Amino acid sequence: MAKFMVVGERIHCISPVIREAFEKRDPEPILKRAKEQIEAGATYIDLNIGPAENDGEDLMKWGVKLIQENFDNIPLALDTANKAAIEAGISVYNRDKGKPIINSADAGDRLSYIDLAAHNDAIVFALCSAGAVPADADERMVFCQQMLEHGLTLGMEAEDLWFDPLFLVAKGMQEQAQHIMNATRMMNEMGLITTGGLSNISNGMPKQIRPIVDSFMLAMCMANGLSSIIANPCDQKLMETVKTCDMLLNNTMYADSYLDL
Amino acid sequence: MALNGIQIFKMTPKTNCKECGSPTCMAFSMKVAQGAAEISACPHMSEEALATLAEATAPPMKTIKVGTGDKEYTLGGETVLYRHDKTFVSRTRYAISLCSCMDDATVDAKLEAMKKVDYERIGEQMYVEMVYVNYHEGDAQDKYLDIVKKAAATGRVLVLGCADEAVAKAALDICKDSKPILNGANAANAEAMSKLATDAGVVLGVSGADLNELYDTVAKLEGLGNKNLVLDTTGADVKATFANTVQVRRAAIKNEDRTFGYPSIVNLSKIAKDDKYMQEALASLFTMKYGSIVVLDEMSYGAALPLYGLRQNLFTDPQKPMTVEPGIYPINGGDENSLCLTTVDFALTYFVVSGELERSGVPCNLLISDAAGMSVLTAWAAGKLSSGTIAKFVQENVEDKVKCRKLVIPGKVAVLKGDLEAKLPGWEIIVAPDEAVQLVKFMKEFK
Amino acid sequence: MPFNQKPEKFAAKINTVTIGNGDKAIALGGESVLPFYAFDGPIDNAPKVGVEVTDLGVDESVPGVKAYYEGCSSVAEMAKKASEMEGADFVVLSLKGGDPNGEDKPTEDLVAIVKEVVEALGDYPLVVEGSGNVEKDSELLTKVSEACQGKNALIMSAKEENYKTVGASAGLAYGLNVGAESAVDINLAKQLNVITTQLGVNAEKIVMNIGNAAVGYGYEYVVSTMDRIRNAALSQDDATLQMPIITPVSIDAWSVKESMASEEDMPEWGPAEERGIGMEIMGAAADLVSGSHAVILKHPQSVATISKMIKELV
Repeated sequence: MAKFMVVGERIHCISPVIREAFEKRDPEPILKRAKEQIEAGATYIDLNIGPAENDGEDLMKWGVKLIQENFDNIPLALDTANKAAIEAGISVYNRDKGKPIINSADAGDRLSYIDLAAHNDAIVFALCSAGAVPADADERMVFCQQMLEHGLTLGMEAEDLWFDPLFLVAKGMQEQAQHIMNATRMMNEMGLITTGGLSNISNGMPKQIRPIVDSFMLAMCMANGLSSIIANPCDQKLMETVKTCDMLLNNTMYADSYLDL
Repeated sequence: MALNGIQIFKMTPKTNCKECGSPTCMAFSMKVAQGAAEISACPHMSEEALATLAEATAPPMKTIKVGTGDKEYTLGGETVLYRHDKTFVSRTRYAISLCSCMDDATVDAKLEAMKKVDYERIGEQMYVEMVYVNYHEGDAQDKYLDIVKKAAATGRVLVLGCADEAVAKAALDICKDSKPILNGANAANAEAMSKLATDAGVVLGVSGADLNELYDTVAKLEGLGNKNLVLDTTGADVKATFANTVQVRRAAIKNEDRTFGYPSIVNLSKIAKDDKYMQEALASLFTMKYGSIVVLDEMSYGAALPLYGLRQNLFTDPQKPMTVEPGIYPINGGDENSLCLTTVDFALTYFVVSGELERSGVPCNLLISDAAGMSVLTAWAAGKLSSGTIAKFVQENVEDKVKCRKLVIPGKVAVLKGDLEAKLPGWEIIVAPDEAVQLVKFMKEFK
Repeated sequence: MPFNQKPEKFAAKINTVTIGNGDKAIALGGESVLPFYAFDGPIDNAPKVGVEVTDLGVDESVPGVKAYYEGCSSVAEMAKKASEMEGADFVVLSLKGGDPNGEDKPTEDLVAIVKEVVEALGDYPLVVEGSGNVEKDSELLTKVSEACQGKNALIMSAKEENYKTVGASAGLAYGLNVGAESAVDINLAKQLNVITTQLGVNAEKIVMNIGNAAVGYGYEYVVSTMDRIRNAALSQDDATLQMPIITPVSIDAWSVKESMASEEDMPEWGPAEERGIGMEIMGAAADLVSGSHAVILKHPQSVATISKMIKELV
């Protein structure tokens, strides 16, 4: 097993500070959040520019260059519904430290994002859903296989499709948590790489509880073979969980100071 | 290793024709991977794909047997590149080399010297298992056959280094019943040599000018139905030989390329000719990295003691502790009047303790009782090293052989002192320091 | 169909550590391949061979060693002679005479010897080994570091118990290379690297001594520890295990019965010296192919042979 990967989610247009920085092309807030996440241990940085219907191409290029040039070409996930913006971002993307990730495809309307990844030699997050909430692990696997087949037929390598079993809110849909774990395990057994938007699980829960729920969910998913997560690396509890699980899964070598690394 | 659904899918025609009964090729592949469908349900799989699938379930490296009776050795059958990943299974075997270019006296002297190395180390008899008899092209056939006869008389497994078909046939006639290796196939003579080896029922050694030629020749031999092979990975020099030997093993184990899934022969007499010390260095190197048979000019105790010790360590199963036989081990000329010390049968503990005792120079007897191969504290916690076990061992095995009535116990089980004194009347129980490194000082001061 | 060669490529690499100054300086590490796997990628810095001399003078017990240093009247002369040995890349000065459980030589005497050796060797790469006693070494190695200032020497060793004083003096105060010593324990090897760097010592100034054993004496633990370190360093890109490894071979090789038992006691075994050389050569070859970047030997024959083997392989 390879070491667990964390995709830092904090550069997101839903944050007013980031949205304003995007509008004004102000590097400061973007670089600050990138730096915090990288120092906390993020492997990839997600760059969510929102729908960006008007200036998406320009904005994505600006963001990609800004972050990569300042942080040793750290690999990025390009996150937007604007396909042209993704291609524009990839056109200026430096692959030294890893391929770009396209965030994201699904088995429904967004299936063509897999084509986008195939044409641009990129990784793609593939959400195991066709729009509606999948009933259980088996339904997730049907979507997974459809997308896998689609990607392979386009000439992609399986390792460039990172499957998201679709992390859903636990409150009100508690039975979904185990479906997510089961689907993760099945994908892992197929040798597939997996990912997910962790914080969905604790949506609607009190602030002090969320890190606990997130951490336990992550540990249980890692035990089932989860390969990566889209989350906030500045959450200390979360990163402690990642490091401890990585150590217990023998992905990293133990040393008394392992939590400091 | 079995293939997963994705690997199988890549071999399907990807046409979703549904003739197999599954809606898509992907769905079909997943079923095959899970064992829920047979690959034969797809009428459109290529021959090559079917062969690959069949191969995928075979072990990555073949197990080859040579010799007969108690001189039968197993080569190959490895499944890992690093011992900590599981264990190495077939230890490296050593051969000394003879050649038709040597005179009688040299041959006799080499064989005599070889026989001298024969000793036991932790329950394993150490000796030279094989003799490599090289036929130097152009030499008289009779001379070669004479040497083969002499070598065969030693009872060691022979490796006939001979690429001449007629000479090889004559040599096999002499020794084929003892299941030697005929190391003589190459790109030019593969077919004929393969027939010779197959008819005689012996393993065939294959060599090639480089890895590509070797690969092709093995593929050709496999095509002829001969899979009873070893690969001579000796190259032009040390560097090439190391590259060949590592890459052959890695291709087999890591990349599951079964054409290279055979044991290897490394001939140090060729790449470090007449350089005894370099051969020692390389014997160690190729024991560590993937030589199944290593051929040296000679084997003296100077080479054997370290080499067999290294091999014994390397081929231990990481899951099973190496143990020494329970018994009385006299150290520094210890006799019946010498001080007795006791510790567990875990080999590492034994070696550390006996090493320190040797260093002290003080004659003593080290008593080893059965502690299930555990270290001192672990054995104590598990009840495998207790006042009862020590007392029983001393009464049953020591009291009638040793007159001294002083027994030193490990410092870590000082707690046993009182109980032992009660259970062993007449004995004085002494507590050693906690750590073995303190033993030298302890022993010198005790004296 | 030709053989499909699949080189094992790693993105990570071993740190490069330089010892000594000028033309004679040596570099350890720097590669992205397994030991001697030159067919996978370049090995810019071949492993190096060090020759051990001690403050106790010439080892009279081994004829070949005794003969080599014939005529040397001081440790400094021995060190100079050692640096001229065929195949030698660096000299190791062991201060084992300082061990309180042995000769217990005073620190000042040992530092005086170090100064003479430094003087005799100039820019030639020097490794200094302490007494082996953690308390004594805290003080001793601090003063030794001062004496080696500017020589870019390697000071061995910082252990778990005294890494703060040894690391602070050798690594921080005097800018030397620090040896981090553990005893065939991969977790401790890693921990020492972590805490030594947390102390402020540059990771590119740390060399690991992960411990050793004579072949036949639990050597499998050494193999597996080194295999796992190399694996973590290269395939897991674990920066805290990417330090090059130095391994003292001679101490263990020459202190087991295979090399110590006299020919009178074991007539069938033949000359003790030949057995000692065998233990040293085979131990060194096995260490190198497991992942050591430098081995410390003492017999001229072993030094010549291992050096030649390295040259043939790289």
